[in-house]
Amino acid sequence: MADWEPNLRSKGLQSQNKKPIMLQGHERAITQIKYNREGDLLFSSSKDNKPNVWYSLNGERLGTFNGHQGVVWCIDVDWTTTKFMSGAGDNTCKLWDCETGKEIGNITTASSVRTCMFSYSANMAVYTTDTAMKQHCEMFIIDTRTIDDSIGHQVPILRIPIKGPKVSSILWDNLDEMVITGHENGEITQWDLKTGKQLNSVREHDNLINDMQWNKDGTMFITASKDHTAKLFDAEDLMLLKTYKTERPVNSAAISPILEHVVVGGGQDAMDVTTTSTRVGKFDSRFFHMIFEEEFGRVKGHFGPINSVAFHPDGKSYSSGGEDGYVRIHTFDSSYFEYNFDY
Amino acid sequence: MAKKKVDDKNNQNDDNTKNEGDLSSNDEEPNFSDPEGFVDDISEEELLGDILKQKPKETDGVESVIVVDGVPQVGPNRIEKLKSVINKIFAKFGSIVNEFYPVTAEGHTKGYIFIEFSSPVHAAEAVKLTNNFKLDKQHTFQVNLFTDFAKYEQIPNKWDAPEPQPYQGQADLHYYLLEPDAYDQFGVVTAQGQSVQIWQNTQPDPTLAEDRNNWTQTYIKWSPLGTFLSTFHKLGIALWAGPNFSQYKRFAHPGVQFIDFSPCEKYLVTYSPQGDPHNPDQKRIIIWDIRTGLEKRSFNPEGPSAWPIFRWSHDDKYFARIGQNNDALQVYETPSFGLLDKKSIKINGIRDFNWSPTDNVVAYWVAEDKDVPASVTLLELPNRNETRKKNLFNVADCKIHWQKSGDYLCVKVDRYSKVRKEKNEIKYSGMYCNFEIFHMREKQIPVDSVECKEPIQAFAWEPVGYKFAMIHGESPNINVSFYEVRVGQAPILLKKFEKRACNHLFWSPGGQFIVLAGLGSNGGGSLEFVDTHEFLVMNTTDHFQMSDVEWDPTGAMVKETDCLKIQILRCKSAWLLGYWIWSFQGKILKRINLEKFAQILWRPRPTILLNEERQKEIKKSLKKYYPQFESKDRMRQSKASKELIEKRSALMEKFQSYREQRIREYLENKSRRMALRNSELFYISVVGTAISAM
Repeated sequence: MADWEPNLRSKGLQSQNKKPIMLQGHERAITQIKYNREGDLLFSSSKDNKPNVWYSLNGERLGTFNGHQGVVWCIDVDWTTTKFMSGAGDNTCKLWDCETGKEIGNITTASSVRTCMFSYSANMAVYTTDTAMKQHCEMFIIDTRTIDDSIGHQVPILRIPIKGPKVSSILWDNLDEMVITGHENGEITQWDLKTGKQLNSVREHDNLINDMQWNKDGTMFITASKDHTAKLFDAEDLMLLKTYKTERPVNSAAISPILEHVVVGGGQDAMDVTTTSTRVGKFDSRFFHMIFEEEFGRVKGHFGPINSVAFHPDGKSYSSGGEDGYVRIHTFDSSYFEYNFDY
Repeated sequence: MAKKKVDDKNNQNDDNTKNEGDLSSNDEEPNFSDPEGFVDDISEEELLGDILKQKPKETDGVESVIVVDGVPQVGPNRIEKLKSVINKIFAKFGSIVNEFYPVTAEGHTKGYIFIEFSSPVHAAEAVKLTNNFKLDKQHTFQVNLFTDFAKYEQIPNKWDAPEPQPYQGQADLHYYLLEPDAYDQFGVVTAQGQSVQIWQNTQPDPTLAEDRNNWTQTYIKWSPLGTFLSTFHKLGIALWAGPNFSQYKRFAHPGVQFIDFSPCEKYLVTYSPQGDPHNPDQKRIIIWDIRTGLEKRSFNPEGPSAWPIFRWSHDDKYFARIGQNNDALQVYETPSFGLLDKKSIKINGIRDFNWSPTDNVVAYWVAEDKDVPASVTLLELPNRNETRKKNLFNVADCKIHWQKSGDYLCVKVDRYSKVRKEKNEIKYSGMYCNFEIFHMREKQIPVDSVECKEPIQAFAWEPVGYKFAMIHGESPNINVSFYEVRVGQAPILLKKFEKRACNHLFWSPGGQFIVLAGLGSNGGGSLEFVDTHEFLVMNTTDHFQMSDVEWDPTGAMVKETDCLKIQILRCKSAWLLGYWIWSFQGKILKRINLEKFAQILWRPRPTILLNEERQKEIKKSLKKYYPQFESKDRMRQSKASKELIEKRSALMEKFQSYREQRIREYLENKSRRMALRNSELFYISVVGTAISAM
């Protein structure tokens, strides 16, 4: 099962004794995976309509969130792991109780919900809708302090219509003051939530930004774009810090919480997958040194493009979810931690 | 209008007082006549230049006149007949406006005539096609344009000796061989010649030696010894050489698609399959002298045939092709470019031939015909001695493989046990295969035979040495066998690898090492690196959908530390294109992916100049040289890693300083974050510490 690139054995990316855990539960392509703050749970959503939650230690499924009637595009869990949020193609954004898996709130939108995220305090949440069905992309900030049936009728705290290309990924800063959006055309924009105005905008990518993820302290973030690159930005002034180049579209990228490493996952578009063999598809997770931008390892395993990657908060394992419908939890070997770049 | 303008101009310029007078008389009638003493200062050109251009000139029509010399001289009674004959010939080029037959006092024509066509184009056409036209045995037309006479009259009577041109020294064409570390070069073409790059395969990373956009229009080709780089253009071939790849020669041949160098780089054969649409006389195959750039001979091949049509002997002295109807071998000699002994060698039913790579010996095979069996014959040239002839039966096809050093010849014979004829198509069944090995260096040239019952996928001689390898069997039971040939012995099976996924064999130029490869979309892309000394599989790996494998030319060198190998990968998906470089041991050295990658070629090297004894000596004392190379490699490595480390530490420093500031800001905001999350707990902890402090 473990299909590792041989020359990476020494770098400890591949464990000789610990096989990766395959999470089989989804019926269709994985769209997003996320760890909770402690890292004991791993949440996953897929193009089937049930987000799942798993024990990250052994891969046992804890439960599913049943209720959506379409592709679940985005998920998030708050920092206390009490509330879970999901946005789907059935034009709803739902809030769930983590413990019971019960739906506690349902917001009906005009078009599919593409991104969602709790704020740092989890007192607020943000979600955005697609430009589709004659609807324009919009960003909604809602109050999530108390969630009940009425949340669907509540007026959002803030409602920002997005002119131009739609939002394809979103991040909330660690002071509940600012939201960063990644757009379909590669643009990255900062929004001030006090005024609802645009603060700053850069365009360093040429194509859709699939994913954005924070570093541990939330001062930098990494973007994954269809233009074959992942990039590291400063959160304050959106300065481009680093670029990680690959040969195919990047769907997701994550920063290690303990080492100066980033992992990127991708592959060609899902529609092209059938025309290529897995041997050349390059459906590998690729590891780069965050500062030197040098690739130092790859992990094989998926037989379709990787749609989402995430580091465990302790930095000792990481997971990837692919177009093939599997989530794989990889635990690093000791040699991974011993491998050092000379400088 | 023009007139009025003149008036205005006149009024302003000439005479103001007069003007006033004119104005006074205006009341009655305007005065249009020129004032007295007026001189028209406007030329006709200015006034009606556009009309003047159409004015008939004396010379008009002169260009349409041709002079025909060599016309029969006839009496007045036959002049009408002559005219009708002439008209018939020339009327087809265009309508004849005028004709003139000068006659003597007696009414005899003078033997030359003038014909005027309606257009100069027709005249030019007539000159082109009827000059040297043979009317009959006594009369050949000499046709010229009338205007040519003026041109030829202007040739000065005194002949000036041409100034000797100063000699232009050539750049050193072999400079690349003087590279102290013997690095090889290779050319990379992307997107049909949009860019051509020449790389020097330096350690540890290749360096770019030359990079030009639009250097070629299709692809590139190195000459066999590596001296010249040839580029293809619409109008012909250009050769580049020397340290900066300056243009060496150009060979104009429109529509050229194929070229072939003679082995010693003396001659170049160019082939334009379609020919030149603007110039139907242009021959489709031209042989050029590379050094002078002159055309030596041209041919028009009948029908399509496999390229190269001409095959050269190893020393450039002869080249040969199979004659029409497969009934003769036409051997031409250089530098006269005539047929050897002025006649071709009659060989009925010749199917294929090949020159020995080291001697002027041709091996050819003849298909069987009724009672005459098929045969393979060795023919010495130029004396046309048949040194060996071997008859073969039940032959379907033969392939002639010379060993690179010319010591052995192997003829792969496809044989059948049954034959049927179906609608002119011959169908063979019960196929099996024979290898006929000719020992060229022994007396009488003995022949050994190896039989193989399975279909053969590939065959290859070790370039230097006595081994050959073949792939046989049918998928999935494909086997690779290695044989050795020895003096006075039948070939011995050395080793058989069973069940391998490969379809091509690539020996290293220096022998001993071989790569078994599965090329193409159904080859699977497997790669197996084998040392045939002890038949050790050094490495097995793959490169999916690779299309080609090429060894670097130094495989022939004794220096074993950096034998390299390149693979080309061509695939439908653009992002798969690129080339990978491996060491001879199967270690991957470089993966390079290029969009629109089109071609990659190692620059060849001339054969080694050292004699065999010297080579042996070097091989023996290799251990002595080894530390030198070793230390050099290490220095290079350490230099590279030193540079890398410096680069890294600079990056790290820059990044660290940037981070420091951010981390400080982050820590400053700690209380705010604490307040956001769990503010009650925060309060308790603050109060708690306060209480405990009390």
